[in-house]
Parts: sequence; structure tokens; C-alpha cells
Amino acid sequence: MDTVAWLGGVARRPRAVLAAVAVLTVIALLLCVNPLTRQVRFQIDPSAEALLPAHDPGRAVLDQVRRTFGIDDPLIIAVRFEPSVYSADNLARIARLADGFRQLPGVTEVHSLASAPNVNARDDEIDVTTFTGQAAEDPAAVEHFAADIQANPLYRSTLVSNDGTTAAFALTLGALSPKDYLRLDFDTRARAIVADVGGAEAVHLTGTLPVRAATSEALDRTLKRTVPAVFAVIAMLLLATFRSFVAAASALLAVAIALVWTVASAVLLDIQFNLVSAIVPPLVITIGLSYTVHLLAAHFLSRSVLPHARDSQRADWVMRRISTGLTLSATTTVIGFLSLLLNPLPAVRGFALLASLGTLYVGALTHLFLPALLNALRCTRETPPIATRLFGRFAAALAVFDLRYRRWIIIAAAALIVVGFTAATRIRGGADFIASFGEQVTVRRDFEAVTAAFNGANFVTVLIDARAPDALTQPRLIDAIDAFQDWLRAQPEVGSAVSYVDQLKLTNLALNNNEPLHFGVPNDDAAVKQILLFASGEALNRLIDPQFRSALISVRINVDGSRAISDFLHRAEARAAELPSPLEARFTGSSVLATRAVEALASGHLASIAIAVVAIACLLSLMFTSVKAGLVATVPNLVPIAVYFGTLGVLDIPLNPTTSLIACIVLGIAVNDTVHFLARFNADAREQGKEAGAVRSALTSVLRPITLATVCLCLGFLVFTASELNNQVQFGLLGAWTLFVAWIADMTLTPALGSRLRIVTLWDLLRLDLGRSPQHTIPLLSGLSMRQARLFALMSRLEKHPAGTRIIQEGDLSRDIYVVIDGQVEATVERHDERLVLSTMTRGAVMGEAGYFGQRRTASVDTTSPVRLLRFNSQDLERLRERYPSIAATVFRNLNRIQAERIARMTALIK
Amino acid sequence: MKARRWLGAVLLALAGTTQADDATQKLLDCMRANVPPSLQIKEVELTSTDRGGAERLLKGKVYASRADGLIRVLLRISRPRDLDGAAYLMREGGAERKDEIFLYLPAIQRVRKISGASSDGSLLGTDFSYNDMKQLQAAFGDARPSLEKPTTIGDRPVEVLSLQPAPGNVARYSRVLAYVDRQSCTALKAEFFEGKTLRKELSAPAEGLKRADGYWYLSELLMRDVKENTRTRLKVTGVVGSSDELPARLFDPTSFYRGN
Repeated sequence: MDTVAWLGGVARRPRAVLAAVAVLTVIALLLCVNPLTRQVRFQIDPSAEALLPAHDPGRAVLDQVRRTFGIDDPLIIAVRFEPSVYSADNLARIARLADGFRQLPGVTEVHSLASAPNVNARDDEIDVTTFTGQAAEDPAAVEHFAADIQANPLYRSTLVSNDGTTAAFALTLGALSPKDYLRLDFDTRARAIVADVGGAEAVHLTGTLPVRAATSEALDRTLKRTVPAVFAVIAMLLLATFRSFVAAASALLAVAIALVWTVASAVLLDIQFNLVSAIVPPLVITIGLSYTVHLLAAHFLSRSVLPHARDSQRADWVMRRISTGLTLSATTTVIGFLSLLLNPLPAVRGFALLASLGTLYVGALTHLFLPALLNALRCTRETPPIATRLFGRFAAALAVFDLRYRRWIIIAAAALIVVGFTAATRIRGGADFIASFGEQVTVRRDFEAVTAAFNGANFVTVLIDARAPDALTQPRLIDAIDAFQDWLRAQPEVGSAVSYVDQLKLTNLALNNNEPLHFGVPNDDAAVKQILLFASGEALNRLIDPQFRSALISVRINVDGSRAISDFLHRAEARAAELPSPLEARFTGSSVLATRAVEALASGHLASIAIAVVAIACLLSLMFTSVKAGLVATVPNLVPIAVYFGTLGVLDIPLNPTTSLIACIVLGIAVNDTVHFLARFNADAREQGKEAGAVRSALTSVLRPITLATVCLCLGFLVFTASELNNQVQFGLLGAWTLFVAWIADMTLTPALGSRLRIVTLWDLLRLDLGRSPQHTIPLLSGLSMRQARLFALMSRLEKHPAGTRIIQEGDLSRDIYVVIDGQVEATVERHDERLVLSTMTRGAVMGEAGYFGQRRTASVDTTSPVRLLRFNSQDLERLRERYPSIAATVFRNLNRIQAERIARMTALIK
Repeated sequence: MKARRWLGAVLLALAGTTQADDATQKLLDCMRANVPPSLQIKEVELTSTDRGGAERLLKGKVYASRADGLIRVLLRISRPRDLDGAAYLMREGGAERKDEIFLYLPAIQRVRKISGASSDGSLLGTDFSYNDMKQLQAAFGDARPSLEKPTTIGDRPVEVLSLQPAPGNVARYSRVLAYVDRQSCTALKAEFFEGKTLRKELSAPAEGLKRADGYWYLSELLMRDVKENTRTRLKVTGVVGSSDELPARLFDPTSFYRGN
């Protein structure tokens, strides 16, 4: 089936196409938005956990911690008092604040000076009243609190800052999601409670939930802003370029529909929008609009090339002109995305799937919907496209430059690839977490304020597993954990480290009337167990399980960003490996999972890029039916990748979840330009028979749409620079830069490499009609397969001539050989003003072979009916010999046989 | 031990001091009449189940007495072996004195009086926390009892007794609902609320309701911590109720931890 004809046929039925698309879009909209509640059905999940696989060991440890100890990263509210926390009035305020915070929605527990007992032992009595309770009963007791807290490893740098000015409230929240947090306006409510109680100088909220909520909000705003912004910017560009409101609106509509379908697919496939997949919508828009630029260019060109043709004829013409390039572009882009399916992170795989679907949708709509819509709307334009002449002049100059400096361009490209990949060896993986927000953003300022006051605001949880009940009551193992905890506290990144060992020591001390000798671990298991059972309660249950089989060390760290956390984790894991058997320590927590996610991304991206490059090279080789042609088409796309990684290396930009995606995305998109140029160059070279001229005409044809498409894409990427999240800004800048480099490579290196190449696309191969059994009915093609016969034909030139056309002029010097595919020709000679017909030739006849051997034409050849001829010369045969030697050998053999038969016939005639 | 009464006795003794309407007072009196002057439980089993489903078993004996309307309860642990001898004595203070809690741990070999409030101190790792006991006393010593709409548990009609702390009092639970069986005046269920959230739930199967020496008691109780997703099952065997007094040394802070 002729696909192009089918596409043209579809384009000729605009109403059916439009109706089908409308129905599908309504269904997609219903999938995206619940019409009853008017709530969107898709989810935004800003957590780092969302980036990790469900069965990731780090997540499993975190799940185990949540299951066993019922904890998660707390929400910290830090309230600063003047001159210090330690006054009866301020402690009374703290008690009221704790009560107020406990009433906040979702709060299940508030740990603060109002809940922490200040254990006092005297005269065989142990007082376990809280700090605020003691202050209320006896205000004079407050003067000892600073010393009590400093002496208590559980409270030091945890409940009160080291300078004594700031009290911390650690809120445990149930199943509150970032969305709930925002919907309930939790932050404002918490601050309002502080304002109501009064006396506070400052209040800061931080923790995983506020940061996730802020990220979710920023992502939401980014989506809400970037999508319309990309549309607006590109709409203006389309209007300025094509000067047709209908055309611009149609293109935007096609892309908007693709976007709706993509989001609907996310809902159907249960793919959440996270830090990675949030890039998909603007990406689909930019890719889609770049496709529509090519289609609109072809559409308006058809109006000028075929001014009087019917819509159906124009549709056919447009399809023939763009379908090869567009199909190849979409396919290579999808391959670029699908290569990310190898990534171990489900978030990246979700992104790959969604971006692939989006590209397919936008490709299909550009092929089917947009031409139908343009024809249905009778989209015409009287004014010439803008800057056509300018681009024409630039293309001509560029063609001259590319051909003249071909060698230097190739050398420069090779040098760039080497330098780029060399600089890339300096790249380090790493992502900023809180530093993703601007310095003045509240969530970052709060985080930094809490970090400064409490020497850390990030938490790392160390799960110590002893695998047997009561094992953690053995003094030998407790001493080992204690030593490990001391080591942790000595690390510069660690603000505090708390475990059940601290509780054990403090309780032992209290039970022994605060005799300093007893601030330690009892020396027998039974004593440990009794003390732990006595001390057991919610606080201790957060640190050791009731079976005394597993325990936690809660570590507060003062660093942020995956690099610093990773460095700390590597050291800590090495130290943890020294714990005696059966103790096993595993690290988890939101910041740990985020760090692991970044590392997993960094480890997976190189494989993805390699696979993408190989897959695209294979596809291009298949499509161009030649490995050499495939490589030539692939090499120009290595340049932007090398430059991109070189840029990261030189500017010390870390590879993070977003920057690691750029190479694959750009590779997928940049191949579009290569394919568009090579497809046009291929057609022009075959038509003109001259590669140099084809470079110029192909550049003239594609420079404008490719440049406009690149501008569209770059502007689309640059819109991300308006995001509140620094990693999105980085993504936008680097994406635009790399696409710009890709454009330069495609406008210089691709013509330079392709100028010596005659390409046969698979599309051409399938589309070529040589009549029935050409290898049996055309002697020159005898012994070839159908594919080989078509390859030979495509390496030559297939010409159509009407009846009465002179093909060969007697006496001319020409080296072209002709083969009649169909129709009829007549060989004649002029003698004494008399025209003698030497022979009449039909399908399979070979003529002009004398010219091939340097002789003048001995007869004239004219068509007596419409004919199709295969025309080739010695250069074509030489190219054939280089690219397809087995086909060339058969053709040479056949040519010799034909010549031998002809000589034999002539000899017989003479005799 | 008339197990429900072990907890309920503390409540009842104090609840009786509060003002209540006639119907409520009648119910409280009926419940009070169910508490013998002294009782002994030969064996009590406390089986705690953590979030992961792992269990820990404590076994021991309970002695309780009611003298002058004040409740005294002694729990002495015999199993597991490494807790053998640990003992826990609660003495109600009444209107004049604060309640007292004494602890004896064999490893320390000293009696310690525990005072003040701790939000998370549990009774030797079970879901029956120190705080529950303290809060019960603090909250209901001058709690406001009232009857709500009666209901049924299974096919047994129950009165619903609501207890709320008096205004200005600080109590862990903002409200306790006790579902009191009409026939036995024994609470088959109690719900402990923190704000509007159900924090703990005490329940007893009706088939566990037994009678010995003329007193009703529940042979099995389940305390479930809804927030922590843990539970402790309490089983009692060999309940002996009596009008005779138990030896005073069992409730003396200097000697409660010694053998029988």
C-alpha cells in the first residue's frame, strides 16, 4: 500500500478526519478533567521517592522504618524568642504553641519542650514532668533548663537551638500529602498560631512536606506558565513567519490536541507528573510546533508550486514532500526517548513513554489532522512568506561555504567531539535540593534558618538490624552502636545523632539517682531490658522496636545537595560496615532517597545515550539502505551531544535528574534536521544528478523551516528559564544551547558529509515502481533481486518524458545510458535530409551505451509515447560499485552481455 | 482480677466524687458495687503486639484493694525470666494527696517513685501506659460524667457513659466513652479520644464476662492503640474476690516488691 497515497487520501477527507479527532479529543478531555467535580485527574508528585522504583532497596528500608517505627521525616517549626527560650513566659507560650500545633489538621504528634520530660531524680523519686510542666509548677526551675538540655543528648540541638533562642516543634503528620498541605494552607495556619500566641520574633517551617509542597506548587506554576508561554511565543513566531492567522491557529490547535491526548495517556497509564515528567507537556508543544513549521512551509509552497491544482493534488504533493522527513524525524525522536526506558528509574521510564506518545500524537496530527484542517479552512496566503529571499541568499552562501571548506568543517567537528567528550570526563553527578529554589523563596530561607539554628535540617535515618529478638539488649552490641554514634557525631556534616542508647543511658542515670557513674550502658542484658521496658513509650518506640531487634539512629545533617550527602553516606556506610555481626546498618530518609535517585539517573544516562545513538544509526542505515549513509546521518548529531557534555564539564554543571535528560532529548530532536536535509538533498540530487547543486537547493529548501523550527524549540526551552526552580532554568538554558549547536552542525557538517553521498531511502525503495518483474523483463537488471533492481534504479535517475521528446541527439558527446522502463522510443538517423528509422524499442531496451565508451551519439532517439527511462552514467556506476559492489558486478556483466549480443547481431548482419 | 475493674476501679472511685444526675449516679453506683473490697488475680497475661505483628508476653499477678474508697493496685511480673520480680504499685491519693506510682526493677534493686506526667511512658512496654493511668486519674477525678443515648454491643444493651475533664483541667484525653453493660454494670468497651481523634480503644468480648464470688469480671480485654497500630491483650485467670483485706505489705512502697 502506498502510504503517502493513503495519507493524501486521508487529507482529502477533512471532515471525517476532523470529526474523528474531535471525538478522540473530547474523550481525552474527559479523561483529563472530571466534568462533575471539575478536578483534574492527573497527579503531580514532587517527591524524590517518586523517582525511584517501587522495589528500590532504599524505599524498602524506608518502608520498613515507617512500618516498624511509625515515623517519617518530621515537619519542623522553629520559633525564635527574645532574649531566649528559657523564661517561664516563653515556656508557657511553647506549651500553648504545642497545643495549637496539635490541633492542626493531620498532626498526630508534636514533640517539643511541652512533651519532652525533663527527668529529675532525687531521693528515690523520679520526676518525669515536661519542661513546660516544671516551668508552670515552679518558674525558678527554668534557670537549670539550659544546662539540663545541654547535658541531654536527646534534646541538645534538637528541642532548643544551641544559642537558646529558638525552640523546635517536631510535628509528625499522618497521611498528609503535599497537595493536602497546600489545600489546607497548613503553613499559614501554623504561622497564625504563632502570631496568636505572641512573643515570637520569627517562625520557620521546614521538612520534607513543606519542601515537597513548595516544589509541587512551583511545578504546578511552571506547568501553568510554561505551557501558555510556549504557545504564545511560538504563536507569534508562526504568525510572523507565515503571516496567516488561520495557519498559526491551526498549528497551535493541532499541538494543543496532542497535548491533551498526552495528558490523557498519562491518566490512563497512571503516570504521575514528577520532577522529570513535568517536562513532557512543554516538550510536546515545542516538538509539535517544530513539526508544524515544516508542514506549513510545504503547505504554502504547494500553493505557489501548484497554484491551480485541486486540494487533493496539493495534499498529495505536500505528503510526498514532507512525509519521509517527518516520519523519520518522529521515529528518531521516539527512539531517543525510548532509549530512556533502559533507565532504572520508573520516573524516567514514565517520562520516556509519555514523551514518545506525545511525539507520536503530534506527528500523527501533523500528518493527518493539520493538512485536513488547512484544506477545510481553505487556508491560503497571498503575501509571500517572510524572509524567503534572505534565507535563499543565506542558503546559497552556506552551500558554497560547506562545499569549499568541507574538509575543515569535518576536522572541526571531529575536534569538537574529542574536546567535548574529554571535558565531559570532569562531570560529576549531583543535584541541589533546597538550592533549587531561589535565595529569597520562603521555603529555602526557612530551611537555611533552621539549619543555622540547629546545625542541620535534613535527616538521615540509620536502620540498625540485629535480626533476633532482644539482640539489641546485649551490652556488647550496644557499645558498638554507641561507638558508631560517636563517630557520626564527629563528622562535620552531622548536627546531632540520637538513638535508643542515649535513652538507655539517661534512664539508667535517672534510676540511679543521677550518679554520673551510671550514665552508661548496664553490663548485663536483663538490666538493659528492664530499663528499656520501664522507659518504653512513644518516644522510645520511635528509636527501637518493641522486640529490641531493630533500632534507628536519627541523624540530623547540615548539608544539602546530593554531592555532599553522597560523600557523607559513602563514609558512613564504610564505617557502618565495621559494626560487629549480627548488626547491619542501612541508611534511608527522603534526602538519602533523593541522593540515590540522582546517582541512579547519572549511572543510567550514558547507557541510554549510547543505545539511542546506536538505535538511531541503525534506523538511519535501514532507512537509507546503507550503513555508511546511516553513519553520515548520525555523526552530525554527536557534535551537539559532545558540546553539551563538554559544556557541563567546563562549567562544572552537575548531572542531575533534569540535565541528564537533555542529551537524549536533543539527540532525538536534532536528528530531525539531519533527516530533513538528507531527505531533501537525496531527492534533489537524484533529480539534478549533481550533488553540489543538490546541496544548494536542499539548503535553500530546508534552511528556513529548519531554522524556524530550531528557533521554536529554543524559545520553547528558554521559557523554562522563567521557572522558580533552578534546575528547570538550567534545563531550559542548556536545552536551547544544545539545540543551537545541533542547528549549526546540521547546516554545516551534514551538507559537508552528505555532499558526496547518493542516498536511497527505504521509503524511495518501497515507493519505486519499475513495472512487473523488472529483473526478468529488463535484461540489464537480470539476475538482481527486486530490492537490488530498485536500489540500482534509485542510484540512477528515473525520468518521465511525454511523447515526441528527443532523448538522444545524433552526433552529441554524452556518456549517459538509458534503459526503457515503459513506453516506446524510436532510434533514427538523418541522412540527406531523410529520416531513417533504425529501430523501435520498448521495455528493457538499452540505448546510448556507445556514448558510455566515449563515442559520439550514432543515432537520435525520440519518444513515440509517454515513457519512463532509467538514466545513468559512469559516475553512477562508480558510486554503485563503491556502495553496492555485488549489484554493480551484475549490472556490468549484463551490460557486457548486452554489448556482446549487439556486436554478435551486427556481425551477423554484416555477414 | 476483675480485669475491667482494675482500670475501672480507679475511674469509678473518683467518678463517684463528681456531681452527676440521678441516672448517671445510679449507673456509677452499680459499677462501684461491682468492685470488691479486695481481689487477687492468680495470673494475668499481657500480650503486646507491635506494628509488625511480633508479640511480647508478660505474665504476673495482680492484687487490688479498696479501702476508704481509695484504690491500690499491685502488678508483679513473673515472666519473662529477665523481668521476674519487677513490680508496679499504684496508690490512689484521693482528695488530699496526689496519686502515687512506685516501681521496682530487680536490676536496679531499688524502689523508685515515679511522679509527674510523661506523655509516652507505657506500662512495661504494653499499651496500658503510665500516662493512661495518670490521665485517667487526673481527668476523671473531677470529670463530668453524663449519660448518652443507650446502644447495644452485640445483642447486649449498654449505657453509654461519657466522661470529660472539668474546664481548666489538663488531661490527655478530651473525652472517654464507656459502654457499660446493663446487666453486669461492667464496661464492655471504652473509647479514648484525643481531640476528635480516637486514640485508644479498650474492648472486651461479651462471652468473656464472668462472675465469681458474686462479682462480675471480664476475663479478656484488648487495648488497641489506634494511632500506633499496636495492641495489648490482657487475659486473667483465677479471680478471687473477697471482703477480707489483703496483707498491707502488698501495697506498702517499702515492701510491695517482695514475695507473697
